[in-house]
Amino acid sequence: MADRRPPVRILGNAKPSLSRSGMKEYVRMGTQADLRTYEIYQRERVHEATEKIRPIELVSPEFVRDPYPVFETLRENYPCYRDWMGNAYWLTRYDQVTSVFTDDYNFETRPKLWFYRMTGYGRDLRQEIPVQTVIEKTYDQHVVPLTEQLIADMKATGETDLATAFAARLPLELLTRALDLPREDFSSFVEHYWLMQRGYDWNPVAEKAGRQAMAALADMFRPLLAQRQPDPGEDMISAMSGLTLEDGPVTAEDIVVTLLEMDHETLHGALANLWFLLLTHPKERQKVEEDQRMMKFAYLETLRHSAPVLWKKRFTLHEVERFGRLLPIGGLFYCAAGAANRDPRQFKDPARFLVDRADLCQREPRGHYRADGLASGIAMGLGQPSKHPALPEDRPRSLYAITRDTAVTASNLLLDAFPNIELSPGAKPTLKSLRLGEMHTCWHLPVHL
Amino acid sequence: MSTNSDIAGSFAAGFARAIDPTQLTGDADTGALRDFPLMPLGEHVDMGTDENGKPLFDPRIMMSAEFRRNPWPYYRILRDHYPVYFNKLNNTYYVTRYDDMTECYYDDIAFNTIPKGSSNGVLGNVTHELSGVEHRRRRNLFGQHLVGKSLENRIPAIERLATEMIDDFDNLDDSIKQDKDGVRTIELGRAFAYEFPVRVVCDVLGFPEEAREHFFYWYDSIMGGLGASDTHKQGMEARQHLQDYVADIVKERRQNPTYLYDNDGNEMGKDIISKLCESQVDGDYLSSEEITALIALVVAGGGETTRGTIMNMWYSLLQHPDQYNAVVEDEALWDAAFHETLRHSNPIGGQPRHNTFDVEIHGVVIPAGSLIEMVNFSGSHDERIFKNPDDFDIFRDDLYSGKLLRSGYNKEGKCSHMAFGVGPHMCPGAWISHQEGVIGSKILAKRLKNARINTSMMPKDIDGESLAPIGINKLRDLWIDYDLD
Repeated sequence: MADRRPPVRILGNAKPSLSRSGMKEYVRMGTQADLRTYEIYQRERVHEATEKIRPIELVSPEFVRDPYPVFETLRENYPCYRDWMGNAYWLTRYDQVTSVFTDDYNFETRPKLWFYRMTGYGRDLRQEIPVQTVIEKTYDQHVVPLTEQLIADMKATGETDLATAFAARLPLELLTRALDLPREDFSSFVEHYWLMQRGYDWNPVAEKAGRQAMAALADMFRPLLAQRQPDPGEDMISAMSGLTLEDGPVTAEDIVVTLLEMDHETLHGALANLWFLLLTHPKERQKVEEDQRMMKFAYLETLRHSAPVLWKKRFTLHEVERFGRLLPIGGLFYCAAGAANRDPRQFKDPARFLVDRADLCQREPRGHYRADGLASGIAMGLGQPSKHPALPEDRPRSLYAITRDTAVTASNLLLDAFPNIELSPGAKPTLKSLRLGEMHTCWHLPVHL
Repeated sequence: MSTNSDIAGSFAAGFARAIDPTQLTGDADTGALRDFPLMPLGEHVDMGTDENGKPLFDPRIMMSAEFRRNPWPYYRILRDHYPVYFNKLNNTYYVTRYDDMTECYYDDIAFNTIPKGSSNGVLGNVTHELSGVEHRRRRNLFGQHLVGKSLENRIPAIERLATEMIDDFDNLDDSIKQDKDGVRTIELGRAFAYEFPVRVVCDVLGFPEEAREHFFYWYDSIMGGLGASDTHKQGMEARQHLQDYVADIVKERRQNPTYLYDNDGNEMGKDIISKLCESQVDGDYLSSEEITALIALVVAGGGETTRGTIMNMWYSLLQHPDQYNAVVEDEALWDAAFHETLRHSNPIGGQPRHNTFDVEIHGVVIPAGSLIEMVNFSGSHDERIFKNPDDFDIFRDDLYSGKLLRSGYNKEGKCSHMAFGVGPHMCPGAWISHQEGVIGSKILAKRLKNARINTSMMPKDIDGESLAPIGINKLRDLWIDYDLD
């Protein structure tokens, strides 16, 4: 990913020297902030006190289970909330969250690799056209036969758990097809892929497992890369092996990093949440049954109503005045898409799941979040929404669109195969994150076919 | 060729290995809050090790009760294995070694104090949020009244205030005093340590005596209301209340300055507020808001910390009767006891800094503008500097306990402790708090004959027998028995 930081300027006459502690004089890497001597950030007054919320609520188990009450408190009272405990700001209104997502000049996106503290381990090749082309092709090609296969597996049992047998499995099956992995590697790929995706945040045990999983994945890809370089097939690894990059040939680590940054959360989370919502909202489900074209709208509404990725982190690149505050350089912003998607300033009756919602944009957002004068739900797609309104014909669809089409096609097949699908008697499914900061989705959705 | 169900099985197997099934069904390990078991002192909870055998560090421990009572082994892990530790839960970097911290403190260009920390809002425009020349000029405005000649002038008053309070022990409320069989039991905190610093600060500031009753409210609320607390609003209200109070005094003293007097009634010059009213920065008089901010800092900094230090010092000394007896024998040792207390159980954990540009320390790149916590508490327990750092020993030969220096002290095997910080932002109240702690304790020790801890009234540690450790808390209550005549 291109470095968007300002050019490095070496300061003063700092000469590396060895101090008594053996701490090599810290390296002055350039200036980003002018030194201020008398500046005021967020000088709060008594009447501005944020006493309706305690910062500890943002890390509590209740918040992990259901963040929406806290989101509402923040959005309606403290739109740019200074969380002293987490040393961060929370943005919760639709306009403000989208304004940060589309402002690469002032706000930096740090890759997951940065949170692993492994910058330089490998390169993210998601944006390479040949890679995107293969993803588009393999996903389009495999989604129907794969879903049919999953349906056949489910039919054999009569009862099944949609969350694991369908929503969790389909994205990884597709990914193995796109990578063209040997079938015997599937189980260990699933394990390592998941561990890698769960490891970049704050839990040190998960981080260690994640690092080990990344090494294991690299070991898995290394022979495949060597084998496919001279004799490329039509898969992601071959596509990557054929790339000519400025800074050296593609390595197995690059493939790992690409998978890490690409992730599966929107597809997995949207499928699980979509079916959770359809099964618990019979009226809405009926609309989809009557006209299958509504499935796409149900998918978009799912991402709005129950976004699997609740927030994304951004960091200020410069000191900047926004949201009524002077924001310091390096400030961490939680851009809460989950809160913005239920902003009543944008969506009427936002807590309601309504597949034929009139105020939700039905088109892919391209660099901006509105079209036709309507606000769109912030779907945290795979990758950024594309920046260019007019894409050339030969460019693949964005990952956002590929994901949407995959989810809609698969869900329609499922509905066709099991028209009488119902929640198992007594089942009380809910959405939750397994750990603070992870995807908010339905992990247990037992159904009677 | 594998069958469908084989593949489904292999997916389920991989999935189950990556995600603990109890996480899917129950609420295990979901939030960022976790209960950790309380460990014997000096031992840490097993948080696992990485692939090279290096201990892992769970950031949730820093919010736990275990950490507050038994922080030493955890900071040791950080010092030994993560000299710069990035806590992703609170987006903060921790610097824990003595030498690293000292270098960072000295460099107030790279590690600035601009107000992104949690104290602003409550305290106001205080000097610890300034840097460079601006900081020096404003700090000196009030700092000069707390050191040197001005301080010497205050010593008789400190002695008088301490004596007055101790003379009054006979009249203490029954809830903190019991006399039985020639032995008196008092709670040192409410009897002396809480209020003594307040009286001193009141006196130094030249506040009227009736201001004392507001003081507990002010400094409890301001200290308790810093930043990430539930009581943030209360802190800001208290500051507003203080500001309103000071505004009236300032208005009055701009017209009619008031003076300090020694014990014999001789005039010793104007009090701090009167002097601040006359002070100018760049030709402008200070506004009453600026004066309030300076006073808020003196109020908050001068009360809570000194009372914590007096309590911690007496608790530690009385748990080591040989050291206590030595101090009683030789009053010159009180200085060493004071400094060893601050080294061993410093009531302030650390100080925040922000890096002005990207820096790399011990291989960790810290992006510009990050919050870096300099953990003074850990620096004072750095075994690279102090032998057996977790032992309380006033006779240790590696702790400097001479005149406090802003530059810190690090010569001939002796180092100053980190409790006051070092460098340009070193605590401006260090000198006066030293005098308060030592003078107050000297007088106390003379009066409290055969002092010892009343163990039955004190909270116990997890074994149910030994006394609870101080940890990074300040001691709340300290029950002391002493002989009446």
